[in-house]
Amino acid sequence: MQIRKKYSKKKHSANLIIGLVITSIMLFLIILGFFYTPYDPTKMDSSAKLAAPSLSHLMGCDNFGRDIFSRVLKGMGNTFIIAFATVVIGVVSGVIIGAVTGYFGGWLDEVVMRINDVVFAFPSILLALVFISLFGTGKYNVVLALGIAFVPSFARIVRGEFIKYREMDYVKSARLAGVPHMRIIFVHILPNTMTVLLSSIMIGFNNAVLAEAGMSYLGIGVQPPDASLGSMLSEAQGYLFSAPNYAVFTGLMIILLVLGFSLLADGLKN
Amino acid sequence: MRYVFKKLATTLITLLCISFLVYLAFDIIPGDAALASLGTDATPERIKAVREELGLNRPFMERYVDWLINFVKGDFGISYKYNVPVSEMILSKLPINVVMAVTAFIIMAGVSVPVGIYSAKHKGKGVDRLIIVLNQVMMSVPHFFMGILITYIFGLIFKIFTPGGFVSYETDLGGFILYMIFPCIAIALPKIAMSVKLLRGSCIEEAGKDYVRTAYSKGNNTSKVLYRHVLRNAMLPVITLWGMTLADMIVGSIVIEQVFNIPGIGRILLTSISYRDYPVVEAIIVLIALVVIVTNFCVDIIYQIVDPRISAQKDILSK
Repeated sequence: MQIRKKYSKKKHSANLIIGLVITSIMLFLIILGFFYTPYDPTKMDSSAKLAAPSLSHLMGCDNFGRDIFSRVLKGMGNTFIIAFATVVIGVVSGVIIGAVTGYFGGWLDEVVMRINDVVFAFPSILLALVFISLFGTGKYNVVLALGIAFVPSFARIVRGEFIKYREMDYVKSARLAGVPHMRIIFVHILPNTMTVLLSSIMIGFNNAVLAEAGMSYLGIGVQPPDASLGSMLSEAQGYLFSAPNYAVFTGLMIILLVLGFSLLADGLKN
Repeated sequence: MRYVFKKLATTLITLLCISFLVYLAFDIIPGDAALASLGTDATPERIKAVREELGLNRPFMERYVDWLINFVKGDFGISYKYNVPVSEMILSKLPINVVMAVTAFIIMAGVSVPVGIYSAKHKGKGVDRLIIVLNQVMMSVPHFFMGILITYIFGLIFKIFTPGGFVSYETDLGGFILYMIFPCIAIALPKIAMSVKLLRGSCIEEAGKDYVRTAYSKGNNTSKVLYRHVLRNAMLPVITLWGMTLADMIVGSIVIEQVFNIPGIGRILLTSISYRDYPVVEAIIVLIALVVIVTNFCVDIIYQIVDPRISAQKDILSK
Protein backbone atom coordinates (compact mmCIF):
# COMPACT_ATOMS: atom_id res chain seq x y z
CA MET A 1 0.00 0.00 0.00
CA GLN A 2 1.29 3.39 -0.87
CA ILE A 3 1.71 5.37 2.31
CA ARG A 4 1.59 8.94 1.35
CA LYS A 5 -0.54 11.46 3.11
CA LYS A 6 -0.28 13.83 0.22
CA TYR A 7 -3.77 14.60 -0.98
CA SER A 8 -3.94 15.47 -4.59
CA LYS A 9 -4.87 19.13 -4.82
CA LYS A 10 -6.20 18.70 -8.30
CA LYS A 11 -9.03 16.36 -7.35
CA HIS A 12 -10.39 18.64 -4.70
CA SER A 13 -10.45 21.73 -6.81
CA ALA A 14 -12.11 19.63 -9.52
CA ASN A 15 -14.81 18.71 -6.97
CA LEU A 16 -15.32 22.36 -6.20
CA ILE A 17 -15.54 23.38 -9.84
CA ILE A 18 -17.90 20.59 -10.88
CA GLY A 19 -20.03 21.26 -7.81
CA LEU A 20 -20.12 24.94 -8.59
CA VAL A 21 -21.11 24.33 -12.21
CA ILE A 22 -23.88 21.86 -11.34
CA THR A 23 -25.21 24.04 -8.52
CA SER A 24 -25.25 27.19 -10.62
CA ILE A 25 -27.10 25.44 -13.44
CA MET A 26 -29.65 24.06 -10.99
CA LEU A 27 -30.06 27.42 -9.26
CA PHE A 28 -30.50 29.08 -12.63
CA LEU A 29 -33.21 26.57 -13.55
CA ILE A 30 -34.92 27.05 -10.18
CA ILE A 31 -34.92 30.84 -10.50
CA LEU A 32 -36.05 30.54 -14.12
CA GLY A 33 -38.91 28.33 -12.93
CA PHE A 34 -40.19 31.08 -10.65
CA PHE A 35 -40.67 33.48 -13.55
CA TYR A 36 -40.99 31.42 -16.68
CA THR A 37 -41.93 27.89 -17.68
CA PRO A 38 -42.25 26.79 -21.31
CA TYR A 39 -45.83 25.61 -20.63
CA ASP A 40 -48.33 26.14 -17.86
CA PRO A 41 -47.27 23.39 -15.41
CA THR A 42 -50.89 22.54 -14.55
CA LYS A 43 -52.37 22.78 -18.05
CA MET A 44 -53.49 19.41 -19.35
CA ASP A 45 -53.27 18.56 -23.01
CA SER A 46 -55.10 15.33 -23.78
CA SER A 47 -53.44 14.99 -27.19
CA ALA A 48 -49.97 14.91 -25.61
CA LYS A 49 -50.55 12.25 -22.94
CA LEU A 50 -47.26 10.50 -22.11
CA ALA A 51 -45.62 12.11 -25.14
CA ALA A 52 -41.98 11.16 -25.65
CA PRO A 53 -39.29 13.81 -25.25
CA SER A 54 -39.13 16.06 -28.27
CA LEU A 55 -38.11 19.58 -29.18
CA SER A 56 -41.46 21.00 -28.11
CA HIS A 57 -41.56 18.99 -24.87
CA LEU A 58 -37.93 18.60 -23.74
CA MET A 59 -38.67 15.89 -21.20
CA GLY A 60 -41.94 14.68 -22.65
CA CYS A 61 -45.39 14.86 -21.07
CA ASP A 62 -46.97 13.12 -18.10
CA ASN A 63 -50.13 11.04 -17.91
CA PHE A 64 -52.34 14.15 -18.02
CA GLY A 65 -50.42 15.64 -20.93
CA ARG A 66 -48.68 18.22 -18.77
CA ASP A 67 -45.20 19.29 -19.82
CA ILE A 68 -42.71 17.45 -17.56
CA PHE A 69 -39.95 20.03 -17.95
CA SER A 70 -42.24 22.84 -16.77
CA ARG A 71 -43.39 20.74 -13.84
CA VAL A 72 -39.84 19.80 -12.96
CA LEU A 73 -38.91 23.49 -12.87
CA LYS A 74 -41.82 24.29 -10.56
CA GLY A 75 -41.20 21.19 -8.49
CA MET A 76 -37.54 22.04 -7.99
CA GLY A 77 -38.60 25.49 -6.87
CA ASN A 78 -40.95 23.99 -4.27
CA THR A 79 -38.34 21.53 -3.09
CA PHE A 80 -35.75 24.28 -2.90
CA ILE A 81 -37.97 26.62 -0.88
CA ILE A 82 -38.90 23.87 1.56
CA ALA A 83 -35.30 22.73 1.98
CA PHE A 84 -34.15 26.32 2.35
CA ALA A 85 -36.76 27.17 4.98
CA THR A 86 -35.97 23.95 6.83
CA VAL A 87 -32.30 24.75 6.95
CA VAL A 88 -33.00 28.32 8.06
CA ILE A 89 -35.12 27.08 10.98
CA GLY A 90 -32.51 24.47 11.86
CA VAL A 91 -29.54 26.80 11.60
CA VAL A 92 -31.02 29.81 13.39
CA SER A 93 -32.32 27.83 16.35
CA GLY A 94 -29.32 25.50 16.31
CA VAL A 95 -26.88 28.40 16.37
CA ILE A 96 -28.68 30.17 19.21
CA ILE A 97 -29.00 27.01 21.32
CA GLY A 98 -25.49 25.80 20.57
CA ALA A 99 -23.92 29.21 21.13
CA VAL A 100 -25.62 29.92 24.44
CA THR A 101 -25.11 26.45 25.90
CA GLY A 102 -21.55 26.15 24.65
CA TYR A 103 -20.61 29.61 25.85
CA PHE A 104 -22.17 29.55 29.29
CA GLY A 105 -22.02 25.82 30.05
CA GLY A 106 -23.35 24.72 33.43
CA TRP A 107 -26.67 23.05 34.24
CA LEU A 108 -28.49 24.74 31.36
CA ASP A 109 -26.03 23.11 29.00
CA GLU A 110 -26.63 19.70 30.58
CA VAL A 111 -30.41 19.96 30.35
CA VAL A 112 -30.56 21.36 26.84
CA MET A 113 -28.07 18.84 25.51
CA ARG A 114 -30.07 15.96 27.00
CA ILE A 115 -33.18 17.26 25.22
CA ASN A 116 -31.04 17.60 22.12
CA ASP A 117 -30.03 13.96 22.41
CA VAL A 118 -33.66 12.91 22.66
CA VAL A 119 -34.59 14.75 19.46
CA PHE A 120 -31.39 13.60 17.76
CA ALA A 121 -32.18 9.97 18.53
CA PHE A 122 -35.43 10.37 16.65
CA PRO A 123 -35.08 9.81 12.90
CA SER A 124 -36.06 13.02 11.09
CA ILE A 125 -38.62 11.44 8.76
CA LEU A 126 -40.27 9.83 11.77
CA LEU A 127 -40.51 13.15 13.57
CA ALA A 128 -41.99 14.64 10.44
CA LEU A 129 -44.53 11.81 10.34
CA VAL A 130 -45.54 12.58 13.93
CA PHE A 131 -46.06 16.19 12.96
CA ILE A 132 -48.07 15.29 9.89
CA SER A 133 -50.30 12.96 11.86
CA LEU A 134 -50.86 15.64 14.48
CA PHE A 135 -51.36 18.69 12.31
CA GLY A 136 -52.24 17.28 8.90
CA THR A 137 -50.42 17.20 5.57
CA GLY A 138 -49.01 20.20 3.78
CA LYS A 139 -45.75 21.90 3.06
CA TYR A 140 -45.70 24.19 6.10
CA ASN A 141 -45.93 21.25 8.43
CA VAL A 142 -43.15 19.52 6.54
CA VAL A 143 -40.95 22.57 6.90
CA LEU A 144 -41.67 22.90 10.60
CA ALA A 145 -41.14 19.21 11.30
CA LEU A 146 -37.93 18.85 9.32
CA GLY A 147 -36.66 22.15 10.69
CA ILE A 148 -37.08 20.96 14.27
CA ALA A 149 -35.50 17.63 13.40
CA PHE A 150 -32.44 19.47 12.08
CA VAL A 151 -31.91 21.70 15.12
CA PRO A 152 -29.92 19.21 17.25
CA SER A 153 -27.22 18.50 14.67
CA PHE A 154 -26.51 22.21 14.16
CA ALA A 155 -26.70 22.90 17.89
CA ARG A 156 -24.17 20.18 18.51
CA ILE A 157 -21.69 21.50 15.96
CA VAL A 158 -21.97 25.12 17.13
CA ARG A 159 -21.75 24.10 20.79
CA GLY A 160 -18.54 22.19 20.15
CA GLU A 161 -17.02 25.19 18.43
CA PHE A 162 -18.04 27.55 21.22
CA ILE A 163 -16.54 25.31 23.88
CA LYS A 164 -13.32 25.45 21.90
CA TYR A 165 -13.34 29.23 21.58
CA ARG A 166 -14.68 30.36 24.95
CA GLU A 167 -11.36 29.69 26.71
CA MET A 168 -9.30 31.51 24.11
CA ASP A 169 -7.38 34.61 25.07
CA TYR A 170 -9.19 36.99 22.77
CA VAL A 171 -12.49 36.00 24.34
CA LYS A 172 -11.12 36.40 27.84
CA SER A 173 -9.71 39.82 27.11
CA ALA A 174 -12.98 40.88 25.51
CA ARG A 175 -14.77 39.79 28.66
CA LEU A 176 -12.30 41.72 30.83
CA ALA A 177 -12.83 44.79 28.69
CA GLY A 178 -16.48 44.61 29.66
CA VAL A 179 -17.95 43.53 26.33
CA PRO A 180 -21.46 42.17 26.92
CA HIS A 181 -21.86 38.40 26.60
CA MET A 182 -24.26 38.61 23.68
CA ARG A 183 -21.80 40.73 21.72
CA ILE A 184 -18.97 38.29 22.42
CA ILE A 185 -21.15 35.39 21.30
CA PHE A 186 -22.47 36.86 18.08
CA VAL A 187 -19.79 39.33 17.03
CA HIS A 188 -16.56 37.84 18.35
CA ILE A 189 -16.99 34.09 18.30
CA LEU A 190 -19.74 33.28 15.79
CA PRO A 191 -17.87 34.46 12.67
CA ASN A 192 -15.07 32.03 13.53
CA THR A 193 -17.42 29.07 13.37
CA MET A 194 -18.56 29.93 9.84
CA THR A 195 -16.29 27.54 7.95
CA VAL A 196 -17.47 24.55 9.95
CA LEU A 197 -21.06 25.74 9.81
CA LEU A 198 -21.06 26.35 6.07
CA SER A 199 -20.27 22.81 5.02
CA SER A 200 -22.75 21.39 7.51
CA ILE A 201 -25.38 23.77 6.16
CA MET A 202 -24.86 22.32 2.70
CA ILE A 203 -25.07 18.76 3.98
CA GLY A 204 -28.17 19.74 5.93
CA PHE A 205 -29.66 21.23 2.77
CA ASN A 206 -29.11 17.94 0.96
CA ASN A 207 -30.71 15.97 3.75
CA ALA A 208 -33.66 18.33 3.64
CA VAL A 209 -34.03 17.87 -0.13
CA LEU A 210 -33.93 14.10 0.23
CA ALA A 211 -36.34 14.10 3.18
CA GLU A 212 -38.79 16.41 1.41
CA ALA A 213 -38.68 14.32 -1.74
CA GLY A 214 -39.26 11.20 0.34
CA MET A 215 -42.25 12.71 2.12
CA SER A 216 -43.80 14.05 -1.04
CA TYR A 217 -43.26 10.64 -2.57
CA LEU A 218 -45.27 9.15 0.29
CA GLY A 219 -47.96 11.72 -0.44
CA ILE A 220 -47.65 13.61 2.84
CA GLY A 221 -45.59 16.57 1.68
CA VAL A 222 -46.50 19.05 -1.04
CA GLN A 223 -50.10 18.46 -2.07
CA PRO A 224 -51.39 18.37 -5.65
CA PRO A 225 -51.91 20.25 -7.91
CA ASP A 226 -48.62 21.82 -6.72
CA ALA A 227 -45.71 20.07 -8.38
CA SER A 228 -42.98 18.46 -6.31
CA LEU A 229 -40.20 16.17 -7.46
CA GLY A 230 -41.20 13.53 -4.91
CA SER A 231 -44.87 13.38 -5.81
CA MET A 232 -43.99 13.44 -9.52
CA LEU A 233 -41.81 10.38 -8.97
CA SER A 234 -44.58 8.50 -7.25
CA GLU A 235 -46.86 9.32 -10.17
CA ALA A 236 -44.17 8.44 -12.69
CA GLN A 237 -43.71 5.03 -11.13
CA GLY A 238 -47.10 3.98 -12.44
CA TYR A 239 -46.02 4.69 -16.01
CA LEU A 240 -42.54 3.23 -15.72
CA PHE A 241 -43.10 0.85 -18.57
CA SER A 242 -44.80 3.16 -21.07
CA ALA A 243 -42.90 6.37 -20.20
CA PRO A 244 -39.63 5.70 -18.36
CA ASN A 245 -38.46 9.21 -19.28
CA TYR A 246 -40.94 10.66 -16.76
CA ALA A 247 -39.31 8.93 -13.78
CA VAL A 248 -35.75 9.15 -15.08
CA PHE A 249 -35.76 12.91 -15.73
CA THR A 250 -37.50 13.72 -12.46
CA GLY A 251 -35.12 11.54 -10.45
CA LEU A 252 -32.15 12.92 -12.32
CA MET A 253 -33.06 16.42 -11.16
CA ILE A 254 -33.05 15.36 -7.50
CA ILE A 255 -29.70 13.65 -8.00
CA LEU A 256 -28.16 16.71 -9.68
CA LEU A 257 -29.47 19.06 -7.01
CA VAL A 258 -28.02 16.95 -4.22
CA LEU A 259 -24.81 16.09 -6.07
CA GLY A 260 -24.01 19.73 -6.77
CA PHE A 261 -24.25 20.72 -3.12
CA SER A 262 -22.39 17.69 -1.80
CA LEU A 263 -19.50 18.29 -4.22
CA LEU A 264 -19.48 21.92 -3.17
CA ALA A 265 -19.43 20.98 0.53
CA ASP A 266 -16.62 18.51 -0.14
CA GLY A 267 -14.60 21.07 -2.05
CA LEU A 268 -15.09 23.76 0.60
CA LYS A 269 -14.01 21.46 3.41
CA ASN A 270 -10.51 21.17 1.99
CA MET B 1 -18.47 -1.13 33.45
CA ARG B 2 -19.22 2.23 34.96
CA TYR B 3 -19.49 3.60 31.45
CA VAL B 4 -21.95 0.90 30.46
CA PHE B 5 -24.23 1.64 33.40
CA LYS B 6 -24.12 5.34 32.78
CA LYS B 7 -25.00 4.78 29.11
CA LEU B 8 -27.78 2.41 30.08
CA ALA B 9 -29.24 4.97 32.45
CA THR B 10 -29.23 7.76 29.85
CA THR B 11 -30.70 5.39 27.27
CA LEU B 12 -33.58 4.50 29.57
CA ILE B 13 -34.23 8.15 30.42
CA THR B 14 -34.22 9.05 26.73
CA LEU B 15 -36.73 6.30 26.05
CA LEU B 16 -38.98 7.48 28.85
CA CYS B 17 -38.83 11.05 27.58
CA ILE B 18 -39.75 10.01 24.05
CA SER B 19 -42.64 7.83 25.15
CA PHE B 20 -43.92 10.66 27.36
CA LEU B 21 -43.63 13.29 24.63
CA VAL B 22 -45.30 11.10 22.04
CA TYR B 23 -48.14 10.22 24.41
CA LEU B 24 -48.55 13.85 25.40
CA ALA B 25 -48.54 15.04 21.79
CA PHE B 26 -51.28 12.64 20.78
CA ASP B 27 -53.24 13.51 23.91
CA ILE B 28 -53.31 17.26 23.32
CA ILE B 29 -54.65 17.20 19.79
CA PRO B 30 -58.38 17.50 19.37
CA GLY B 31 -60.43 14.42 18.56
CA ASP B 32 -60.09 11.37 20.76
CA ALA B 33 -60.99 7.72 20.87
CA ALA B 34 -64.59 8.44 21.80
CA LEU B 35 -65.15 10.64 18.76
CA ALA B 36 -63.28 8.31 16.46
CA SER B 37 -65.15 5.18 17.46
CA LEU B 38 -68.59 6.82 17.38
CA GLY B 39 -68.04 8.51 14.03
CA THR B 40 -71.16 10.22 12.71
CA ASP B 41 -73.54 9.14 15.48
CA ALA B 42 -71.67 11.18 18.08
CA THR B 43 -73.99 13.06 20.42
CA PRO B 44 -72.64 14.86 23.50
CA GLU B 45 -74.24 12.26 25.80
CA ARG B 46 -72.87 9.27 23.93
CA ILE B 47 -69.40 10.81 23.73
CA LYS B 48 -69.51 11.28 27.47
CA ALA B 49 -70.58 7.69 28.01
CA VAL B 50 -67.89 6.28 25.75
CA ARG B 51 -65.24 8.48 27.34
CA GLU B 52 -66.30 7.13 30.71
CA GLU B 53 -66.16 3.58 29.41
CA LEU B 54 -62.71 3.95 27.86
CA GLY B 55 -61.35 5.68 30.95
CA LEU B 56 -60.50 8.87 29.10
CA ASN B 57 -61.72 11.02 31.99
CA ARG B 58 -58.91 9.97 34.29
CA PRO B 59 -56.00 12.32 34.90
CA PHE B 60 -53.33 12.43 32.22
CA MET B 61 -50.48 11.01 34.28
CA GLU B 62 -52.55 8.04 35.38
CA ARG B 63 -53.41 7.19 31.79
CA TYR B 64 -49.80 7.65 30.67
CA VAL B 65 -48.45 5.30 33.34
CA ASP B 66 -51.11 2.72 32.49
CA TRP B 67 -50.32 2.98 28.81
CA LEU B 68 -46.59 2.69 29.48
CA ILE B 69 -46.98 -0.40 31.67
CA ASN B 70 -49.18 -2.04 29.06
CA PHE B 71 -46.72 -1.07 26.35
CA VAL B 72 -43.87 -2.75 28.17
CA LYS B 73 -46.06 -5.83 28.57
CA GLY B 74 -46.62 -5.83 24.81
CA ASP B 75 -50.20 -4.57 24.86
CA PHE B 76 -50.29 -1.51 22.59
CA GLY B 77 -53.99 -0.79 22.89
CA ILE B 78 -56.85 -1.23 20.42
CA SER B 79 -56.99 0.28 16.96
CA TYR B 80 -59.80 2.84 16.60
CA LYS B 81 -60.31 1.98 13.00
CA TYR B 82 -60.16 -1.82 12.89
CA ASN B 83 -61.03 -2.57 16.50
CA VAL B 84 -58.29 -5.19 16.80
CA PRO B 85 -55.30 -5.14 19.16
CA VAL B 86 -52.52 -2.98 17.75
CA SER B 87 -49.92 -5.55 18.72
CA GLU B 88 -51.59 -8.10 16.43
CA MET B 89 -51.55 -5.67 13.51
CA ILE B 90 -47.88 -4.81 14.01
CA LEU B 91 -46.40 -8.14 14.97
CA SER B 92 -47.62 -9.93 11.85
CA LYS B 93 -45.85 -7.34 9.68
CA LEU B 94 -42.75 -6.86 11.78
CA PRO B 95 -40.74 -9.77 10.27
CA ILE B 96 -40.91 -8.11 6.84
CA ASN B 97 -39.24 -4.92 8.05
CA VAL B 98 -36.74 -6.73 10.24
CA VAL B 99 -35.71 -8.97 7.34
CA MET B 100 -35.44 -5.92 5.09
CA ALA B 101 -33.29 -3.86 7.44
CA VAL B 102 -31.04 -6.74 8.48
CA THR B 103 -30.48 -7.98 4.92
CA ALA B 104 -29.73 -4.46 3.73
CA PHE B 105 -27.29 -4.07 6.60
CA ILE B 106 -25.52 -7.33 5.76
CA ILE B 107 -25.28 -6.36 2.10
CA MET B 108 -23.86 -3.00 3.09
CA ALA B 109 -21.27 -4.41 5.46
CA GLY B 110 -20.34 -7.24 3.12
CA VAL B 111 -19.82 -5.04 0.09
CA SER B 112 -18.41 -1.85 1.57
CA VAL B 113 -15.51 -3.32 3.56
CA PRO B 114 -13.77 -5.11 0.66
CA VAL B 115 -14.47 -2.26 -1.74
CA GLY B 116 -13.24 0.34 0.73
CA ILE B 117 -10.04 -1.57 1.43
CA TYR B 118 -9.45 -2.19 -2.26
CA SER B 119 -9.98 1.46 -3.02
CA ALA B 120 -7.58 2.58 -0.26
CA LYS B 121 -4.98 0.02 -1.33
CA HIS B 122 -5.03 1.21 -4.92
CA LYS B 123 -5.28 4.87 -4.11
CA GLY B 124 -5.02 7.14 -7.12
CA LYS B 125 -5.28 4.33 -9.68
CA GLY B 126 -8.01 4.10 -12.28
CA VAL B 127 -10.32 1.75 -10.37
CA ASP B 128 -10.07 3.88 -7.24
CA ARG B 129 -10.99 6.99 -9.23
CA LEU B 130 -13.98 5.18 -10.70
CA ILE B 131 -15.06 4.08 -7.23
CA ILE B 132 -14.81 7.65 -5.94
CA VAL B 133 -16.94 9.02 -8.74
CA LEU B 134 -19.51 6.24 -8.39
CA ASN B 135 -19.63 6.85 -4.65
CA GLN B 136 -20.24 10.54 -5.04
CA VAL B 137 -23.10 9.96 -7.48
CA MET B 138 -24.58 7.07 -5.47
CA MET B 139 -24.72 9.18 -2.32
CA SER B 140 -26.91 11.70 -4.10
CA VAL B 141 -29.51 9.18 -5.21
CA PRO B 142 -32.54 9.06 -2.91
CA HIS B 143 -33.16 5.43 -2.04
CA PHE B 144 -36.72 5.46 -3.31
CA PHE B 145 -35.50 6.60 -6.72
CA MET B 146 -32.91 3.83 -6.54
CA GLY B 147 -35.84 1.50 -5.93
CA ILE B 148 -37.67 2.84 -8.98
CA LEU B 149 -34.56 2.41 -11.14
CA ILE B 150 -34.10 -1.14 -9.86
CA THR B 151 -37.75 -1.88 -10.59
CA TYR B 152 -37.29 -0.57 -14.11
CA ILE B 153 -34.03 -2.33 -14.87
CA PHE B 154 -34.50 -5.69 -13.15
CA GLY B 155 -38.26 -5.86 -13.12
CA LEU B 156 -39.29 -4.43 -16.47
CA ILE B 157 -36.26 -4.89 -18.72
CA PHE B 158 -34.65 -8.09 -17.43
CA LYS B 159 -37.89 -9.40 -15.91
CA ILE B 160 -36.14 -11.04 -12.96
CA PHE B 161 -39.04 -10.19 -10.67
CA THR B 162 -42.58 -8.93 -11.08
CA PRO B 163 -42.85 -5.32 -9.94
CA GLY B 164 -45.52 -5.04 -7.28
CA GLY B 165 -45.88 -8.81 -7.08
CA PHE B 166 -45.02 -9.21 -3.42
CA VAL B 167 -45.25 -12.77 -2.08
CA SER B 168 -45.71 -13.33 1.62
CA TYR B 169 -43.08 -15.37 3.43
CA GLU B 170 -45.90 -17.54 4.75
CA THR B 171 -46.97 -18.74 1.31
CA ASP B 172 -43.73 -18.92 -0.67
CA LEU B 173 -40.44 -18.43 1.12
CA GLY B 174 -38.29 -18.67 -2.03
CA GLY B 175 -40.39 -16.11 -3.87
CA PHE B 176 -40.32 -13.86 -0.82
CA ILE B 177 -36.51 -13.94 -0.66
CA LEU B 178 -36.16 -13.33 -4.41
CA TYR B 179 -38.52 -10.37 -4.20
CA MET B 180 -37.00 -8.88 -1.07
CA ILE B 181 -33.44 -8.88 -2.43
CA PHE B 182 -34.24 -5.89 -4.64
CA PRO B 183 -35.65 -3.49 -2.06
CA CYS B 184 -32.75 -4.44 0.20
CA ILE B 185 -30.26 -3.52 -2.50
CA ALA B 186 -32.08 -0.23 -3.01
CA ILE B 187 -31.76 0.59 0.68
CA ALA B 188 -28.17 -0.61 0.89
CA LEU B 189 -26.64 1.10 -2.17
CA PRO B 190 -26.49 4.72 -0.94
CA LYS B 191 -25.20 3.47 2.42
CA ILE B 192 -22.53 1.38 0.71
CA ALA B 193 -21.31 4.51 -0.99
CA MET B 194 -21.12 6.37 2.32
CA SER B 195 -19.23 3.68 4.18
CA VAL B 196 -16.83 3.00 1.31
CA LYS B 197 -15.97 6.69 1.25
CA LEU B 198 -15.47 6.81 5.00
CA LEU B 199 -13.49 3.57 5.18
CA ARG B 200 -11.24 4.57 2.31
CA GLY B 201 -10.54 7.93 3.92
CA SER B 202 -9.83 6.55 7.36
CA CYS B 203 -7.65 3.70 5.99
CA ILE B 204 -5.51 6.21 4.13
CA GLU B 205 -5.33 8.46 7.17
CA GLU B 206 -4.37 5.63 9.51
CA ALA B 207 -1.80 4.33 7.03
CA GLY B 208 0.09 7.59 7.37
CA LYS B 209 0.59 7.22 11.11
CA ASP B 210 3.78 6.33 12.94
CA TYR B 211 2.69 2.94 14.25
CA VAL B 212 2.32 1.74 10.68
CA ARG B 213 5.96 2.53 9.99
CA THR B 214 6.92 0.71 13.17
CA ALA B 215 4.88 -2.30 12.12
CA TYR B 216 6.60 -2.32 8.74
CA SER B 217 10.03 -1.97 10.29
CA LYS B 218 9.33 -5.03 12.40
CA GLY B 219 9.16 -6.98 9.18
CA ASN B 220 5.42 -7.23 8.59
CA ASN B 221 4.23 -7.32 5.03
CA THR B 222 1.56 -5.03 3.66
CA SER B 223 -1.41 -7.32 4.20
CA LYS B 224 -0.41 -8.05 7.79
CA VAL B 225 -0.03 -4.36 8.55
CA LEU B 226 -3.32 -3.67 6.85
CA TYR B 227 -5.46 -6.33 8.49
CA ARG B 228 -3.86 -6.48 11.94
CA HIS B 229 -3.10 -2.84 12.54
CA VAL B 230 -4.62 -0.34 10.15
CA LEU B 231 -8.03 -1.87 9.68
CA ARG B 232 -8.78 -2.16 13.39
CA ASN B 233 -8.36 1.56 13.83
CA ALA B 234 -9.84 2.50 10.49
CA MET B 235 -13.06 0.63 11.27
CA LEU B 236 -13.93 2.80 14.29
CA PRO B 237 -15.60 5.70 12.46
CA VAL B 238 -17.22 3.20 10.11
CA ILE B 239 -18.85 1.38 13.04
CA THR B 240 -20.30 4.67 14.28
CA LEU B 241 -21.71 5.32 10.82
CA TRP B 242 -23.17 1.82 10.66
CA GLY B 243 -24.94 2.37 13.95
CA MET B 244 -26.68 5.42 12.58
CA THR B 245 -27.27 3.63 9.30
CA LEU B 246 -29.21 0.79 10.86
CA ALA B 247 -31.67 3.32 12.23
CA ASP B 248 -31.84 4.97 8.80
CA MET B 249 -32.50 1.62 7.20
CA ILE B 250 -35.42 0.84 9.47
CA VAL B 251 -36.99 4.20 8.67
CA GLY B 252 -35.92 3.97 5.04
CA SER B 253 -37.69 0.65 4.71
CA ILE B 254 -40.95 2.53 5.34
CA VAL B 255 -40.44 4.50 2.14
CA ILE B 256 -39.03 1.60 0.15
CA GLU B 257 -42.07 -0.46 1.09
CA GLN B 258 -44.19 1.92 -0.94
CA VAL B 259 -41.87 1.66 -3.95
CA PHE B 260 -42.02 -2.12 -4.05
CA ASN B 261 -45.60 -2.39 -2.85
CA ILE B 262 -44.70 -4.38 0.25
CA PRO B 263 -47.33 -4.55 2.99
CA GLY B 264 -45.15 -3.84 6.01
CA ILE B 265 -45.11 -1.56 9.04
CA GLY B 266 -44.77 1.49 6.81
CA ARG B 267 -48.06 0.86 5.07
CA ILE B 268 -49.85 0.45 8.42
CA LEU B 269 -48.24 3.66 9.66
CA LEU B 270 -49.26 5.66 6.59
CA THR B 271 -52.85 4.41 6.50
CA SER B 272 -53.18 4.95 10.25
CA ILE B 273 -51.96 8.50 9.84
CA SER B 274 -54.57 9.21 7.18
CA TYR B 275 -57.35 7.59 9.29
CA ARG B 276 -56.09 9.35 12.44
CA ASP B 277 -55.87 5.97 14.12
CA TYR B 278 -53.71 7.29 16.95
CA PRO B 279 -53.06 4.19 19.06
CA VAL B 280 -51.47 2.53 16.03
CA VAL B 281 -49.40 5.59 15.07
CA GLU B 282 -48.31 6.03 18.68
CA ALA B 283 -47.28 2.39 19.07
CA ILE B 284 -45.33 2.24 15.81
CA ILE B 285 -43.50 5.49 16.47
CA VAL B 286 -42.50 4.55 19.99
CA LEU B 287 -41.50 1.10 18.76
CA ILE B 288 -39.26 2.47 16.01
CA ALA B 289 -37.74 4.99 18.42
CA LEU B 290 -37.09 2.09 20.79
CA VAL B 291 -35.28 0.12 18.11
CA VAL B 292 -33.25 3.15 17.06
CA ILE B 293 -32.20 4.05 20.59
CA VAL B 294 -31.36 0.49 21.58
CA THR B 295 -29.27 0.22 18.40
CA ASN B 296 -27.39 3.38 19.33
CA PHE B 297 -26.79 1.96 22.79
CA CYS B 298 -25.40 -1.27 21.34
CA VAL B 299 -23.16 0.66 18.98
CA ASP B 300 -21.74 2.62 21.90
CA ILE B 301 -21.01 -0.60 23.77
CA ILE B 302 -19.49 -2.34 20.74
CA TYR B 303 -17.40 0.72 20.08
CA GLN B 304 -16.13 0.53 23.60
CA ILE B 305 -15.14 -3.12 23.21
CA VAL B 306 -13.33 -2.44 19.96
CA ASP B 307 -11.56 0.60 21.37
CA PRO B 308 -10.86 0.32 25.12
CA ARG B 309 -9.43 3.83 25.10
CA ILE B 310 -12.94 5.27 25.07
CA SER B 311 -14.15 3.75 28.32
CA ALA B 312 -10.91 4.69 30.02
CA GLN B 313 -11.32 8.26 28.85
CA LYS B 314 -14.96 8.51 29.82
CA ASP B 315 -14.28 7.08 33.28
CA ILE B 316 -11.60 9.65 33.91
CA LEU B 317 -13.82 12.44 32.64
CA SER B 318 -16.80 11.40 34.74
CA LYS B 319 -14.82 11.42 37.97
